[in-house]
Amino acid sequence: MISRVADHCLWFGRYLDRAESTARLLQATRSLVFDADIPVTQCWQPLVIVSGQYPSFVSERGAETAGNGEEVQRYMTWDADNTVSLARSVFAARESAKVIREVLSLETWEEVNELHLWLGSSDAQALYNENREQFYRRVRKATQLVLGLVRSTMLHDTPMSFLWLGVMLERCGQTARILDMHHHTMAREESRLIAMGTLEGSPTPPAIVRAGQSPAAPHAIVEVALWLSLLRACSGQEAFLKKHQGRVSARAVMSFLLFDRQFPRSLRYCLASVRKLLDDIWPGRPPDAALNGPTARVEALGAWLDRRARVFAPDEIHQLLTHVVDETALVCAGVGKDIAGPARTEAPAQKASSAQIQ
Amino acid sequence: MRSGDHARLFDGYAPLSGTYDELFDAEGRPRPHVLRLLRNFDSLTPEGFAQRQQLAELSLYSQGVTFSVYSDKRGTEKIFPICTVPRVISAMDWSRVERGLVQRITALCTFLDDIYGEQRILAEGVVPADLVLGAKTFLPKLRWLRPPGGVRIPIAGIDLIRSPDGLFRVLEDNVRTPSGVSYVVENRLTTKRLLPSAVDDSAVRPVEQYPLHLADTLRALSPVDATETRMVVLTPGPYNSAYFEHTFLARTMGLELVEPSDLFVEDDTVFVRTTNGPERVHVIYRRIDDAYLDPEFFRPDSLLGVPGLMKAYAAGRVALVNAPGNGCADDKAVYPFVPDMIKYYLGEDPVLPQVDTYVCARPNDLSYVLENLPRLVVKAVDEAGGYGMLMGPQATAEECAEFRKRVEAEPRRYIAQHRIELSTCPTWDRAGGKVAPRRVDLRPFVLTRPGSSWVLPGGLTRVALVEGSYVVNSSQGGGSKDTWVQKEDVTS
Repeated sequence: MISRVADHCLWFGRYLDRAESTARLLQATRSLVFDADIPVTQCWQPLVIVSGQYPSFVSERGAETAGNGEEVQRYMTWDADNTVSLARSVFAARESAKVIREVLSLETWEEVNELHLWLGSSDAQALYNENREQFYRRVRKATQLVLGLVRSTMLHDTPMSFLWLGVMLERCGQTARILDMHHHTMAREESRLIAMGTLEGSPTPPAIVRAGQSPAAPHAIVEVALWLSLLRACSGQEAFLKKHQGRVSARAVMSFLLFDRQFPRSLRYCLASVRKLLDDIWPGRPPDAALNGPTARVEALGAWLDRRARVFAPDEIHQLLTHVVDETALVCAGVGKDIAGPARTEAPAQKASSAQIQ
Repeated sequence: MRSGDHARLFDGYAPLSGTYDELFDAEGRPRPHVLRLLRNFDSLTPEGFAQRQQLAELSLYSQGVTFSVYSDKRGTEKIFPICTVPRVISAMDWSRVERGLVQRITALCTFLDDIYGEQRILAEGVVPADLVLGAKTFLPKLRWLRPPGGVRIPIAGIDLIRSPDGLFRVLEDNVRTPSGVSYVVENRLTTKRLLPSAVDDSAVRPVEQYPLHLADTLRALSPVDATETRMVVLTPGPYNSAYFEHTFLARTMGLELVEPSDLFVEDDTVFVRTTNGPERVHVIYRRIDDAYLDPEFFRPDSLLGVPGLMKAYAAGRVALVNAPGNGCADDKAVYPFVPDMIKYYLGEDPVLPQVDTYVCARPNDLSYVLENLPRLVVKAVDEAGGYGMLMGPQATAEECAEFRKRVEAEPRRYIAQHRIELSTCPTWDRAGGKVAPRRVDLRPFVLTRPGSSWVLPGGLTRVALVEGSYVVNSSQGGGSKDTWVQKEDVTS
């Protein structure tokens, strides 16, 4: 398929999933404020930090504003200068959709276009002001509908593979960022449990902390709300509870979001999908590490994650996530390069992603 | 409003005097072929209609059936307003239009072949040689070059108007990159949703198959076997005002939409850059003006276009649709000679009359035009979209004086016509909350492949939404209507 179009398919998927993820994260954080006995500041500030916008946010609005839920929500929802705001992501998704208009099915395009038009309308402003929960829900439903329409109304061929590649790459990054939000608290709970002898210091298989029975109960219950909030931010609460029969702990949640093979937003699942989509797009590419292309990189990252799953040390979660985010960025850059196609002539190389913001 | 009854949509509708109305006769009685249509509106009040009209416009927004406004790079998009009262053309009227269009396109194709070949028509003085050879749109470098596929005007859009005598007349030819066909199809989708039973009753011929006919036409021009042919639609990009139409055509034909930077030429062969490396392209439906096709050929200073494309075309390795250099056939200064072309090449009288035109390049015509400026419509030959023209009867004395200077300075650039009382069609007047007569034109589309032409049964009816206006262009407050061509004469 045409290189420029492939590039826009990928970014369409990324922006769309980013919009959904931002809406979900804002929604989950709102409920965290009610559920958990955590200072409000500590609910909202991490959200700005993991979005990568903390420095510019602080320089414009001051550090204390990062703890103000209304300010953070406005910034993450509407701000036109915030490259990851909901409005910007939807706008960018729709701009990409315009470029790949002939690739998308009519239904898909209409839904994206309607979301874009609605977000710019006074109706959307009113809903935002009057019923915030419904506002986020509506954005999420629209983006989910688009992805559903992609699957059910488009050819399952290369353009769709690029689109889902974008979605999956974006999800890797989003899940990693969401997990990283509260890594300090996670590490703290680990060390406390170790100190109390509930957990051995040595690496163990994902352990189950009986929150209600352990001596740490008063704290643990506060923090259970935090872990549940993380799961909700990844649409994973019910899936997690099914797997763990209602037993919630930092380690279990982390393990689930990192390593679960069946949960569609875990890092392991997303990376496996990326690997498969790359195979669909460029079949028969050897995952030879020496080649250093995206296929090889994903293969290596997947294998690395498998090893970490066997010897998981929660206090290293931040380093682990940083590595995943960095490697994913390199995979994405490599894909961008390969999209231009194998060179055959000295014709000037195509400028692939000039239209992209991030 | 009648007592005990509701106000009906067409109550009190009165055609303008001295003007042909598409749906009602001079006495205000419905024409026989629209009786069935009007019956469908019987139960509709103006309020009810207003509501439907609004729904139709909303659905165009959400479908993104829009054109971009040039001045705003942030992407201001407007819909081309649709009036949901259709314009209906009887089977008998249409058969004449159809014959006339095919005849005209045949003559224009032959003319272009001649101009880029022996130039017999110029040698014999039927068309003034300097008028054609002196036009910017004539490309001398293409002389003796036969386009791959052999057809220079695979896609034509001919602008027709209807004069007070009820005759369709040709106002303008568009044989470069005529646009608007996407609105023909989209408007039909809208009216089918709003007036399903009326479409059915009125024996309306379908227009939805246009893209498939177009794809077949393009394929017929391929330099290689049909099964190996790769065809693309070439667009300047999303900021072009007709971008919606480009995506529409690509989508409905199932072709890829490419921008110039996606293509390159090597060994006189055109390739598209794909994720699997370069792949060959055989037919390009280009929606880009000649001047921006190939910087090597047209303007070396330009960064736009596909370098080497014209060489590939000259080598017969790629078909460009429409052929480059067609502009000298739809030049407004050449237009007055088309009836002569028809006689010269085909030995026939023109089926469709046109509008008498004064060519300012001719001294006698020029002095007449200058003397009668306030009574004439003067048009620059190289402008379109309703720009660069003077509507004498509606212009101020200053405007006339200003235009006089322009015409005197460059007579070759101008032609003039008496203003025709364009026909009207009942049209929704939002401000007045009623249906009122508004002027319309019609752009039918003709597809031509070697040996045969096909006329889309329908076309783009553009309507001047402003009361008293004669300008139907979308850029100047025009809207559109669905155009119904009937299968057979339906009179009861």
